[in-house]
Amino acid sequence: MVNPESTPTLVIKNVSKKFPGVEALKNITLDIYSGEVHAVLGENGAGKSTLMKILGGIIPRDSGEILLENKSLRLENPRLALQAGIALVHQDLSLLPYLSVAENIFLGRWPKKGISVDWEKMNESTNQLLNRFQVKVDPRALVGTLSVAEQQLIEILKAISHSHVKILLLDEPTSALSGEEINRLFQILKEIKNEGKSIIFISHKINEAVKISNRITVLKDGEKVITDTKPNLDEQTIIYHMTGKYINLKNFHHTPPTKEKTIALSLEEIGTKFYKKKISLNIYQGEILVVFGLMGSGKTTLARGLFGFETLEGTIRLFGNPVTINHPKIAIQLGIGYIPEDRRFGLIYELPVYANITLAILKKMIRNGVLQIKKEHEVAKHYVQALRIKPPNIFREILYLSGGNQQKVLLARWLAREPKILIMDEPTRGIDVGAKFEIRNFVKGMVQKGLTVIYITSDPLEAIEMGDRIVVLRNGQIVTTFNNPLGLDKSEILAAASGVHYGRENDG
Amino acid sequence: MDKNHSTKNEQKERVLLPSYQPGNLVHLVLLKGGSLIGLIGLSAFFALSSQHFLTISNVLNIFRQVSVVLIAACAQTMVIISAGIDLSVGPLIALGGSVGAVAMSYWGWDFLSGAFLGVIIAMLAGFTNGILIAKGKIPDFIGTLGMLGAFRGVALLITDGLPVPSHFTATALKGYLPPALVWLGAGDIFQIPAPMIVALIMIGITWFILMRTSFGRSIYAIGGNKEAARASGINVEWTKIWVYGLSGLYCGIGGLVLTGRMNSANALMAEGIELQTIAAVVIGGTNLFGGQGTIFGTFIGAILMGVLANGLNLLNVEPFWQRVINGIIIVSVVIFDQWRRRKLIS
Repeated sequence: MVNPESTPTLVIKNVSKKFPGVEALKNITLDIYSGEVHAVLGENGAGKSTLMKILGGIIPRDSGEILLENKSLRLENPRLALQAGIALVHQDLSLLPYLSVAENIFLGRWPKKGISVDWEKMNESTNQLLNRFQVKVDPRALVGTLSVAEQQLIEILKAISHSHVKILLLDEPTSALSGEEINRLFQILKEIKNEGKSIIFISHKINEAVKISNRITVLKDGEKVITDTKPNLDEQTIIYHMTGKYINLKNFHHTPPTKEKTIALSLEEIGTKFYKKKISLNIYQGEILVVFGLMGSGKTTLARGLFGFETLEGTIRLFGNPVTINHPKIAIQLGIGYIPEDRRFGLIYELPVYANITLAILKKMIRNGVLQIKKEHEVAKHYVQALRIKPPNIFREILYLSGGNQQKVLLARWLAREPKILIMDEPTRGIDVGAKFEIRNFVKGMVQKGLTVIYITSDPLEAIEMGDRIVVLRNGQIVTTFNNPLGLDKSEILAAASGVHYGRENDG
Repeated sequence: MDKNHSTKNEQKERVLLPSYQPGNLVHLVLLKGGSLIGLIGLSAFFALSSQHFLTISNVLNIFRQVSVVLIAACAQTMVIISAGIDLSVGPLIALGGSVGAVAMSYWGWDFLSGAFLGVIIAMLAGFTNGILIAKGKIPDFIGTLGMLGAFRGVALLITDGLPVPSHFTATALKGYLPPALVWLGAGDIFQIPAPMIVALIMIGITWFILMRTSFGRSIYAIGGNKEAARASGINVEWTKIWVYGLSGLYCGIGGLVLTGRMNSANALMAEGIELQTIAAVVIGGTNLFGGQGTIFGTFIGAILMGVLANGLNLLNVEPFWQRVINGIIIVSVVIFDQWRRRKLIS
């Protein structure tokens, strides 16, 4: 494995990168050895992605040197990087859905027989590759028909199908995967490693990084804090290096309301055309109801339906009154807010922070038909301070904010509207530890003041930490309700969500 | 360094929605003021090449020439920021001008009533675009391209394909345009051309709509991210319909100004003006895919095109060559703009 005596495969020497107003990377020096899995961790804005993009040839570095097997690389574009032996696997998939698995893997270098494509050879080579990593997919299947997890594996196999590739760069490889799929990915990464190739990956999930990597590098504000082998870095220490402070991961719980409960939202026999089975559920005012489910459990459909993006069958009562929510506008008028699963569907990237915050309360910002820009600024400033959005500049465009801060802006938009019910779908996915902590705490504070939150997540630890109650969804159906999640083990939730008969069966 | 910028910016009252975070002066000038530099450079070149260029009468002449394009470009700016495109601008101008002229010269309507009718008809035509696109769920490009033909046809039907007023029909009724309309296109106040004043008023109104109304903010929002706008309670369809309706209204006004300037309307006037308005908007830095843009940029863009046409005329460049140069300049500016955007993103 990693032998410090041996010469490193990849040497990154004093690499720096400046963007207008930000020093994204400052003098990064890092060695990567052959056959190692190297995790790069850090909060959003720490420079992880910048480093990956430089290695992958997507953006040029300002200064410094990158050597692969003692050969200096210029890495001007992704093609040159690939030729040199560095392959970047993108976070968002870049496969062509209407081409087959084989066609995608050999895209741009299809084997030829005369002037026509040698399909047999291509499918055969693909089959060999798939077998080598025990991926059970038909080389002729259209990529669009595969699951997200399978597509991601194909993407990785595509990268290593270039036999000369020595360095594989993975950007958040597990963000779209469920527990079982993650294990499978790790298995494949191990095999790639055993072939002598090196893997560098960035992730927000510290526990995963600890699990699969040999060495870990922590970046903070564009600088390298530490590179060390795994035994020397446990999760607490890593968080300390990332944030500069110790976070007690346990003491987050707020006391659930003990007074008599008002039913804020009552769902009776709710279903959709796709999810035939019905859901019945009461959500109490001032509680955080966690809806836990894996991909395809129907949790996002439920959220979108409650906000008027999808048609729901059944009866919804809001504080006792039956309501029909068939358009987001109606949901908003009823006092429901919604933070979508993917923040890209919520933010207007071209508009500055303040305009994004006031987007849902424009009507209140008007006097005599004229937008009160000053008032908008005040509202925005209030939330920028309250949520500690960084940089604290309300004129900055959303595009230039880190993921965690973007998410805070989205939260601010709804809080500014003072909704009765806030639906949050995976609100802390893909954001850094610090922001995660702040958002969760802020939400808890708002709940104390009477906000009702439907908190959707596929992270069992987050579910336990956030929920006054946890409802587990599978195949569009409530399988279990945990009324008192304190002290619950994550395996119980996962077991319920993945269909293993195990755990407390409570009635909600 | 970063923090200093933030505090500085917060103290400064920012009126325009900034399209990027200002860095140093070079960035500011190169990345933001691209078209302004082009305009100054081009003007300097023509001023040095021709002694007539920088005379007051010529400058006013440039303004007079670009005013109709400018009025329509104001509307086009809103349409493009909303991530749409209006290819029917030319026919809308012809329709508004023709209807107004027919009402005033053949039906004996007074100036105000005739002008009102022309503008309203053009606006209704604009609403048709909007409804087709928003309710019929067809691409903006296709909707307005189809209507480009249809509106031109309606204008031809209304005018019988003849100039208005025309010698053939003028004898029957009062066969001339009211002086007020002619003044609107050809008159002036203290030497400032009336059409320019109209254009400046329309720019002011557009600025107000974009910067100071929730409708304007909605235009930016739906152009930037339609789904996010919808999820924030903005009525996307309604906004789209009104943007195209406003485009019709602006074009109607532009049509009246053009009719006044030529002292005649005809159904085939303002041909190809849609491309000039799009060019002015894009040269002005508005993102052709929506979400970003300023009316000030469009103003610079339209003036730049006017200066180019005027300067090439003064230098006696052959008209055919003028077209070639015009095309090259537009493409160059857009290439520069793309480069600028890449710089801003990376």
